[in-house]
Amino acid sequence: MREFGYQRVFDVPGAVALLGTDPEARFLGGGTNLVDLMKAGVERPALLVDVTELPLGRIEATADGGLRIGATVTNSDLAADPQVRRHYPALAQAVLAGASGQLRNMATIGGNLLQRTRCGYFADLTKPCNKRVPGSGCPAIEGEHHNHAILGASEHCVAVHPSDMGVALTAFDAVVSYETADGPGELPLAEFYLPVGDTPHLETALPSGALITGITLPPNPVAAVSRYRKVRERASYAFAIGSIAAALDVRDGLVREVRLAFGAVASRPWRAREAERLLTGGPASAEAFAAAADAELAAAETLPHNAYKVTLMRNLVVAVLTELTEEATR
Amino acid sequence: MAQSTSSVITLNVNGEKRTLPVDHRTTLLDALRERLDLTGTKKGCDQGQCGACTVLIDGRRAVSCLQLAVAAEGREITTIEGLADGDQLHPVQQAFLDLDGFQCGYCTPGQICSALAVIEEHAAGWPSAATTDVRPEAGVPPLTADEIRERMSGNLCRCGAYVSIVQAVARAAGVETAQAAPALPQQGRTEEGTAA
Amino acid sequence: MGATRIPGNITQGSTAKGGIGESTLRPDGTLKVTGEFAYSSDMWHEDMLWGFTLRSPHAHAEIKSIDTSEALAQAGVYAVLTYDDLPTDVKNYGLEIQDTPVLAHGRVRHHGEPVALVAADHPETARRAAAKIKVEYVQLPVVHDEQTALAEDAPLLHPGRDDHHAGHVPHPNVVHRQPIHRGDVAAARARADVIVSGEYVVGMQDQAFLGPESGLAVPAEDGGVDLYIATQWLHSDLRQIAPVLGLPPEKVRMTLSGVGGAFGGREDLSMQIHACLLALRTGKPVKIVYNRFESFFGHVHRHPAKLWYEHGATKDGKLTHMRCRIVLDGGAYASASPAVVGNASSLSVGPYVIDDVEIEAVALYTNNPPCGAMRGFGAVQACFAYEAQMDKLAAELGMDPVEFRRLNAMSQGTLLPTGQVVDSPAPVAELLRRIKAMPLPPERQWETAGESADVRALPGGLSNTTHGEGVVRGVGYAVGIKNVGFSEGFDDYSTARVRLEVVGGEPVAVVHTAMAEVGQGGVTVHAQIARTELGVTQVTIHPADTQVGSAGSTSASRQTYVTGGAVKNTCEAVREKVLELGRARFGSYHPAWATAELLLESGKVVTDGGEVLADLVEVLEGEAIDLELEWRHRPTEAFDLHTGQGNGHVQYSFAAHRAVVEVDTELGLVKVVELACAQDVGRALNPLSVVGQIQGGTTQGLGLAVMEEIVVSKEAKVRNPSFTDYLIPTILDTPTIPVDVLELADEHAPYGLRGIGEAPTLSSTPAVVSAIRAATGLALNRVPVRPEHLTGT
Repeated sequence: MREFGYQRVFDVPGAVALLGTDPEARFLGGGTNLVDLMKAGVERPALLVDVTELPLGRIEATADGGLRIGATVTNSDLAADPQVRRHYPALAQAVLAGASGQLRNMATIGGNLLQRTRCGYFADLTKPCNKRVPGSGCPAIEGEHHNHAILGASEHCVAVHPSDMGVALTAFDAVVSYETADGPGELPLAEFYLPVGDTPHLETALPSGALITGITLPPNPVAAVSRYRKVRERASYAFAIGSIAAALDVRDGLVREVRLAFGAVASRPWRAREAERLLTGGPASAEAFAAAADAELAAAETLPHNAYKVTLMRNLVVAVLTELTEEATR
Repeated sequence: MAQSTSSVITLNVNGEKRTLPVDHRTTLLDALRERLDLTGTKKGCDQGQCGACTVLIDGRRAVSCLQLAVAAEGREITTIEGLADGDQLHPVQQAFLDLDGFQCGYCTPGQICSALAVIEEHAAGWPSAATTDVRPEAGVPPLTADEIRERMSGNLCRCGAYVSIVQAVARAAGVETAQAAPALPQQGRTEEGTAA
Repeated sequence: MGATRIPGNITQGSTAKGGIGESTLRPDGTLKVTGEFAYSSDMWHEDMLWGFTLRSPHAHAEIKSIDTSEALAQAGVYAVLTYDDLPTDVKNYGLEIQDTPVLAHGRVRHHGEPVALVAADHPETARRAAAKIKVEYVQLPVVHDEQTALAEDAPLLHPGRDDHHAGHVPHPNVVHRQPIHRGDVAAARARADVIVSGEYVVGMQDQAFLGPESGLAVPAEDGGVDLYIATQWLHSDLRQIAPVLGLPPEKVRMTLSGVGGAFGGREDLSMQIHACLLALRTGKPVKIVYNRFESFFGHVHRHPAKLWYEHGATKDGKLTHMRCRIVLDGGAYASASPAVVGNASSLSVGPYVIDDVEIEAVALYTNNPPCGAMRGFGAVQACFAYEAQMDKLAAELGMDPVEFRRLNAMSQGTLLPTGQVVDSPAPVAELLRRIKAMPLPPERQWETAGESADVRALPGGLSNTTHGEGVVRGVGYAVGIKNVGFSEGFDDYSTARVRLEVVGGEPVAVVHTAMAEVGQGGVTVHAQIARTELGVTQVTIHPADTQVGSAGSTSASRQTYVTGGAVKNTCEAVREKVLELGRARFGSYHPAWATAELLLESGKVVTDGGEVLADLVEVLEGEAIDLELEWRHRPTEAFDLHTGQGNGHVQYSFAAHRAVVEVDTELGLVKVVELACAQDVGRALNPLSVVGQIQGGTTQGLGLAVMEEIVVSKEAKVRNPSFTDYLIPTILDTPTIPVDVLELADEHAPYGLRGIGEAPTLSSTPAVVSAIRAATGLALNRVPVRPEHLTGT
């Protein structure tokens, strides 16, 4: 690990200003991903600006009935929050499905959004990786890729985003707030993560030097009937090989509103807008769910060892929407 | 601006203030083990993937391998060495001992610190991934064997003492059930001839 | 901080009690729950240095040059060692074949092979210095499977072999080959009404013990070295270490420190010689601790295997014959491969009566990671295949799979394919009957749990599963046979020193062996044996070290049998001495001293009729009785290299499992609802420990069934050396494990006991996979079974 300076900051302008003093500075939240990557030599900051004492640790209702979640709220506190559990149950479930109790106590939601991929080649300094060393190549395409992307990937990178929380936030149209030296800004989650293209090393649209200050969930009545479901290779404490966040409003057998996002299939949480479009106004039936999933997954491009994900995601969509239909009409 | 890469910090460990200079790269785990002579906290993976290094920070369980020591300054740290009251074991320690909730014992300090926190998290009403309905209206889920399993799943035990660990946590939490009772073998006797 | 932290005596509180047969608690238990127990990674010495190992990034390469100058020039670096620095002509080591270089010489044969060592004042300094060692490699073609290994022009892993297997193997890239022929397979095959065959594959499993390889070497004033180490067999390490160091064995003093799990992975050396070399070179104590990444390269793994089997049976369900070919990938160095071949071949038939067999097992040399000992070795791979075959045969015959197995189950008196008679109870049919008779967990718990689905009961719990529509229950059975102790003519013995004396007015027994306590509870049993045999309450466990004779390895399910037997034997000799003393001192006071059978109970000498003759304290009268004796089990013999005949084994261990799984066929998720085990243990010396061993072995078998595999690329490189990518079961993956223990004494063994540690690892895997097959109808000829194998693509 490279030697680094460390400063704890107590106010947002101070944090942003301090980060601006060193192009190699990074913000430190819970450290559950950053410290791990520093040990591996993937991240080599010269200065860590510890943001955990910033006054960003609250979850508050917004005037319009949404929720504002401070960036330093821990995953545990987010999942335990009664408002989150009541109005956005899939978000609580997504957070609880991730990592372990210990890690959830440490990890902050700001850091969670900025998690790096768990692609084995990304953390292996002896291997090329376009995300780590632009232009060096992507060995996963020819190598170990059974948990790699089937949607939105490119010949330059097929890694997937590891967040569970981000999948639920994507389904619920969350907006990320940030602060820069030039003032505050906002990014809807749909625009927060950049497409892979030929720049897999550029992951978010956050301006350089920006500090994530929080996430706003717009009021979203449909989210009250929502679920997160995660498929992984063991029952707990493992990253997803496929996951889904879904919310559904069904009246008289027809889908009034639906939200659908996929995890572990793309470089970012994947909002299934095509499926949502097809479902809205149509029948809430297994056939319709399957057809919508198929339409969303028509764009899937598989590699020799990850083609199973197409079937998996299709079955996930059908299973979870079927359950939500029962719950919504109960 | 060149930043200093080390600091003199004061860690509050098991109720005792310990001042030491640390290179910023030092994790809390290494500070405890290599600097403060508290080797009860174990290093299993150093990557947050096994839970052997679990300690309590401000009363909450955390993996000390991903916690920088310098960032733990000012927080209350409790390690396995801080649980017993003299010769009187903490009830969680006693339950692990009595129910043989370990074999090699390497994961045990982490399991015990984690179990302590699991019991408190559950008492505080936190849901888990095993909770059927996370909505607050659904109330606090009973601490069933599956709830214990899910909540303890961040602590790997390669010896496979899990069945006893579930029992030990249940006993320490005061929710011992028929399912969680220790399973001593039946002293069996064959009903058929052995040379059948 | 004190000057050193090293292991000390373990004395249980005075409340400890319990002889054999009782569920006494571990003497080291309190230390383990308080964090005081000193593991090898906790060893500490004032002024110590830290060692680090530079490893090969390639699976197969020629080393053109190594330049250590820049590394040596780093501040804080005390030594950098390569092959050229090895002090003697002995530069290799190995369990059976000394083919493993202490440091690579001109060539590396697997990914992660040690190339150079660094000692520095801080682990990070050592790591950085190692990165500055310049090694010029020229990559060589990689041998990665049977085809590339046995090709006529295959690169030879070890050209010019002169080991004792070299002369009889068909190709120099075959470590060892063991054929077994018995009966007339052609004739038996002609009698078969049904014949089934199949090819089965077992992935590479890792021991994945939680406490990585570590130890502390302290140079001594006499030019020797003190080594504090976590291992499975101190004296085997010593035999391999001392010649490399050029020291007589008595100058390499080894002490066992706390072992964070082993499971076979500490049978081979890891950092032992390296730490000693650095300590002797620098004159300073040197500690080496592997990190998790390094640990995946620092020990051998379970042999991945390809197994082809053919069985026949008559229509009334009697097995006619078996043919099999088992190919084990031993990787770059021999390690335990010859013994793995011996087990795989001699136990390939399973616990069944089959008179006509043609068996062949081979282990290959390849550039894959070296494979060796892991719990149940050889037998685990075979059991997965033959139990799949039993299910296939039963299905083909339209018979119940358990009844089919019972019909063909071996029993006491059965002749093994090796010609050896099973001369102790072999209650295979009874174990199967018991496991089948155990009540099944309720069906579809999510439906019976109440009005709404209790999704917790579904595969993977709430977050993972469908609503139950696609969830199918399956039940599967399996049974296995494992040999206990070292086989094939190995002189398998142990040594125990027992000292009985009066301390503080109370008789105390000190038990001193070199047995590696790795969590199996050996020290618990030693204290129980001493209490039973010597009638004392207080037992002190001396740290295991090389100041006492060898205990053999903590492997092959052998320690309670062999070192337990040694402790019992020495205790009996000590008891005789006590009685001699007693007769001399008090014999004239009571005729029973001369005539009765005398025992030691509750600190007294008593007759078998219960009459108290004297207090132990009075008999000893300040004298200490201190004996060290060796004890060995019945000898075995090697298998004939052509026919496989020979009385190769000393004892067998049998376990049967029933797995109940619920499979979400849509998502490919498996929930093992229950994994019940019935096992014959001969005699349960500590029932609590017995259950723990059975549950632990069962859990590791579950891991192999559904998740555990080291992924090795075509370039023979390990792709998943971390606990994020190499998954082992969590507590949530582990079901309830009801255990039914049968105790049929083996009259040849101490107390009638049977080695127990490995058998439950065998049948657990095939039982789980059988249950998944039952639920899905899929063939599933490979473990681990992953979600992607169940959803289809």
